[in-house]
Amino acid sequence: MKIMIIGAGQVGRHLSRKFSAEGQDVVLIDRNETRLRRLERELNILAVHGSGASVKVLEDAGIDNTDLFIAVTDSDEVNLVACLLSKKYNVKKRVARVRNEDYLSTDAPLNEKALGIDMLISPDRAMTDEIMQLITVSEAFDTAEFADGQVVLVGYVIHENNPCAGLPLPKLKQLKGSYRYVVAAIIRNDTTIIPGGYDSIEVGDKVYLMVRKQDIAEVENMFNLASKAPELVFIIGGGTIGFYVAKRLEALGINVRLVEEDADHCEYLTENLENTLVLNFDGLEANVLMEEGIEKADLIIAVTDSDAINILASLLAKHHGAKKCITKINRHDFIPLLGKLGIDVALSPREVAADMILRYVRRGAILSVTTILGSDAEVVELKVPNRPKFKDAPLKSLNFPRGAIVGAIVRDSQVFIPSGETTLQPDDNLIVFFTKDAIHHVEAFFEH
Amino acid sequence: MRTGGVLNILGKLLLLLSIFLLTPIPFSYYYQDGMVTVFLLSSILGALAGGALVCSFYPETDLGYRDGFAVVVFSWLGLAFLGALPFYFSGSMDSFVDCLFESMSGFTTTGSTILPEVEVLPKSVLFWRALTHWLGGMGIIVLTLAILPLLGIGGMQLFQAEMPGPTKDRLAPRIQDTARILWKVYVLFTVTEIFLLMLGEVSFFDAVCHAFATLATGGFSTHTTSVGFFNSVYIESIVIFFMFMAGINFSLHYQGLRGRLSSYWQNEEFRFYLFLTTFSIFIIVIANLIYKTYGSFGETLRTGFFQVTSILTTTGFGTADFDQWPPVCKVLLVSLMFVGGCAGSTGGGIKHVRLLLFFKYARLQLRNLVHPQAVGTIKLGKIKVPREVLISILGFFALYVAFFFLATLMVTALGVDIVTGSTAVVATLNNIGPGLNLVGPAQNYGHLPALAKVVLTFCMLAGRLELYTVAVLLTPDYWALARKPVLRWKLLHAKEPAPK
Repeated sequence: MKIMIIGAGQVGRHLSRKFSAEGQDVVLIDRNETRLRRLERELNILAVHGSGASVKVLEDAGIDNTDLFIAVTDSDEVNLVACLLSKKYNVKKRVARVRNEDYLSTDAPLNEKALGIDMLISPDRAMTDEIMQLITVSEAFDTAEFADGQVVLVGYVIHENNPCAGLPLPKLKQLKGSYRYVVAAIIRNDTTIIPGGYDSIEVGDKVYLMVRKQDIAEVENMFNLASKAPELVFIIGGGTIGFYVAKRLEALGINVRLVEEDADHCEYLTENLENTLVLNFDGLEANVLMEEGIEKADLIIAVTDSDAINILASLLAKHHGAKKCITKINRHDFIPLLGKLGIDVALSPREVAADMILRYVRRGAILSVTTILGSDAEVVELKVPNRPKFKDAPLKSLNFPRGAIVGAIVRDSQVFIPSGETTLQPDDNLIVFFTKDAIHHVEAFFEH
Repeated sequence: MRTGGVLNILGKLLLLLSIFLLTPIPFSYYYQDGMVTVFLLSSILGALAGGALVCSFYPETDLGYRDGFAVVVFSWLGLAFLGALPFYFSGSMDSFVDCLFESMSGFTTTGSTILPEVEVLPKSVLFWRALTHWLGGMGIIVLTLAILPLLGIGGMQLFQAEMPGPTKDRLAPRIQDTARILWKVYVLFTVTEIFLLMLGEVSFFDAVCHAFATLATGGFSTHTTSVGFFNSVYIESIVIFFMFMAGINFSLHYQGLRGRLSSYWQNEEFRFYLFLTTFSIFIIVIANLIYKTYGSFGETLRTGFFQVTSILTTTGFGTADFDQWPPVCKVLLVSLMFVGGCAGSTGGGIKHVRLLLFFKYARLQLRNLVHPQAVGTIKLGKIKVPREVLISILGFFALYVAFFFLATLMVTALGVDIVTGSTAVVATLNNIGPGLNLVGPAQNYGHLPALAKVVLTFCMLAGRLELYTVAVLLTPDYWALARKPVLRWKLLHAKEPAPK
């Protein structure tokens, strides 16, 4: 597949890296030449210098035989114009990143349909959705929904008081109720393990479980994790993300304190929010935080524009008693540090957006993909091809590739959490976890 | 530097070359020259060495920018050693240094030989000599990228370290596809030349060997008197044409083959190349006419055309002994040796584009002396040349002078006279072949001291890989970053056996 990406910012870079690693033809266009040269040296892509909204640049870069056109520069206008330009050529799919809310709602006069763009994506919106999903599962540091939300991937940190710590997986299976989930991935010391029969769970591991939504409470119970919706939430930063998260939390009846540094902007926020308490300070003043009851907070969400403020505000709040934090991070480089610092969940809007684009693009045989933030594991939904090999075959006899595991099976809109005895049927949708190295084996397994 | 990963790739390349070492065997059968065991033995030795490296070291997929240099230099050294084995086992050359010189001269498309007479060699060995040219011409690593997926992610770095020229054209988003395109064009030209030579009643064997040597701008011939042996205007014109083509950027050929013939003329480097070729031919023909080197005008024109393209493209085929030409011609030819082909061609030397930019830079400096406030940019065609490229070219010249000076000093220190020594360095550093005086077109490199041959062998490698790639390995900084290689068996023992 030939893919043209406009804009070598974080989203563009992330996408280029992913696609080129898979062996796709990637052409990356940007106006910053030094940045391009560095990427060209790092990745196996063609880097073209110029504006993505220029006909000449696009033609020189070979837009005529491009399958997928992704415009993710910092400017909405450039992205939209580039996508509109690409309509004059033989491009199969178009994706544009936009910030302006005017294009995003379904009743907007210039929405996806009117513009003729297959997908409009806003990192802030994607980020809001992601945060909201995390809030509903309180102990998890990561969640992702599959099969229309029937099954959920949840990530938990294993603490010392966890009864499952130190247990090998076969022992874990003997514990009551364990058929209700699959241990999909374990992250230990920055390495990702797709567990086989003999791995065990250790203290300090990050464990990803595949669970049916209605079973989450029971599984959390088993792992000695209590799940309940938060009562008091602090949000640091009243930008787009902070505003929309506050608005949606309000609607759920959750008590929200929104901290914003800019006094004028606070006016705007109070005008547009109902029950949220808007506080005017920078989020780093400990005594104000304590006066406002930070020790009772179930969650702090730090979403200002500055990574440093987000990290420090989260740590400060946790130090003074907040139970959990969700921290927005722009620079990918910091993510490995955060676990050690005590940040529970780190989210990068651009990576969240890039993952949404990846998920959208790979709809097809591979239905959707999520990357587990900061690890090597990926998740895809795959359709079982209609071939005799797969009919009535129990999973354990199929020789499923190493480094990959089936997390759930969706059949006729029913979801199963599989075990070794579970049999496959053609047209089942499988939710498969795999490490990056195993992707080709997984593809080959279903093709042959 | 990831030492283990580099050695693993070296092993894979040796395995690949062992396969190529089998290709002269059909020729050996056909001509009954008894070299079958020689090639079989070399191939097995290569496979063993390559296999041992691959088995000992884990492949590392995350090879970085820096590792490209080591991979390319070690691969070329490894290939030259392996390629020298058939020469050694066949008994056609006395010492291993000679064999290594000949093999390196082949792979780097230099074409300098230590043999006074080449006809005495078995046919299959002659074919191997030509094949080393052909493999080295477009680059063995570019070939590997094109046909095997084994080099993986580090491909771009390797490509950059091996392809000549200050900037690289990407013809396709994926480097593997770019490599494939270049090799396709290369093969197409080679086949065409073989066909055209055979039309001129050259035997299939000679046609293949000469086509290999022409397109790679190598210069090894199957005859002591080189292309002069055929004594045919038709054959010389074919060879001249293809030498000229081989000196052009192969990306331009790709554009040309796709029907965009105008892209040749639009390319400023090509125009400069064309200008320099015609200009030099003109001067040499005039000089030879004035000094009455040849009896007839036709003869003068013919040798002038042939020698200028042969030297300028760094091929080094001969139809005339230019050592007997008037001094002005010799000086001009030696100057042309430095210029070489275009960037992205199979030719060696400094490359036209570097020289062109160098002159443009000098002109800009002159203009700035007159207009101190003027803002100046250097453009190639219609595109501005980034500052880093210009600075890297200046650095390249400095290195070039340093290499030339040091190598000449070493060779003359071993008792070789000035003209022979300096032109031998020029001819090897620029991958041409013949120099002047005792290494002139009618002579060979056999009589030089062994140590001088080693120095010249190094010059060929440094020249083919455009100095930077080799020079960077000579800096202590580079090695300070080297990692200890991890042996496979150590890893096996470190891991506990999986429980049953």
